[in-house]
Amino acid sequence: MIIRILTEGQFNLPGSHLDQLNDIDNQLVEAVESDDQGRFEQLLKEMLDLVRQKGTVVPVEELIESDLILPEPDITLKEAEELFVGEGLLPG
Amino acid sequence: MGMLSRMSTIVKSKMNRMLDNAEDPRETLDYSYEKQLEMLRNVKRGVVEMVAAKRQIQQQASRVQDNITRLEQQARQAVDAGREDLARLALQRKQTSALELQGLDEQIAGLEQEQEKLTLAEQRLQAKVAAFRTKKEIIKAQYTAAQAQVRIGSALSGISEEMGDISLAVERAETKTDQMRARAGAIDELVATGVLEDFTGREDDIGRELAQLSASQSVEDELAALKSGRPAGENRSLPEGRS
Repeated sequence: MIIRILTEGQFNLPGSHLDQLNDIDNQLVEAVESDDQGRFEQLLKEMLDLVRQKGTVVPVEELIESDLILPEPDITLKEAEELFVGEGLLPG
Repeated sequence: MGMLSRMSTIVKSKMNRMLDNAEDPRETLDYSYEKQLEMLRNVKRGVVEMVAAKRQIQQQASRVQDNITRLEQQARQAVDAGREDLARLALQRKQTSALELQGLDEQIAGLEQEQEKLTLAEQRLQAKVAAFRTKKEIIKAQYTAAQAQVRIGSALSGISEEMGDISLAVERAETKTDQMRARAGAIDELVATGVLEDFTGREDDIGRELAQLSASQSVEDELAALKSGRPAGENRSLPEGRS
């Protein structure tokens, strides 16, 4: 599956890692909800590293849509909180 | 709703806003290409603005540096003149300016990072746009309605997603630049009015208090150093020659 890390580009990650990704994602949401800065940073890094290490880079001249989009590596906890409450969409 | 799906929703909603519902898919291709070029110009402008903001803060930093040098000289003169109170005041002000300088240096480093990121984004987009252009021409040349529809769709959503990503990056960079400019302006004002505040952007009280403690310690240390290391001029012989 094709995964984009914002500001970094796209990676092709074998589907077998999806469960792991989902698991980290759930923990991330909890970290944001409990306003846990350290945990948030650690999980985000874990998530992005998984994609970077287990995935292969999609060549820059290829034009494909991603199946999933991950936040930029330097997103702050505050910005992440705004993602969930912002624009009046679903809260976490 | 997790981080993953949230982020995807945001970027996709940006993408959709960029796509046009032209009657003929070939028009959509041209329209999208126009948008891409526009986006490239935006990114380039973002980089230029960032450089300008950085230059502004660098100038400010160099003014603060001049100020520090001046205060050092003043402290020395005050000690020479036997005015310890004045020397202390000058050294205190110097400490404040040093903190200010540190804050400015951090901002410069932050802007440099942003600038680098935007420059990379620009290069990536440039490559994507070139690829899109080639693809667009091929699709248009071989156009048969049904089959082209699919290929146009995938090329379009691929490039639109890239544009969504980059437009988010540009927005963030702009917000940061604005914040730094505002802060730089605020510092200028503080310096002009002589009000000394915490302009380092640091928010915890303990850190501030510690900084104050160590600042006043360095003032004392430096004062002592000035006094002992500088028994200069006529004053020199007095204490020793007295016996």
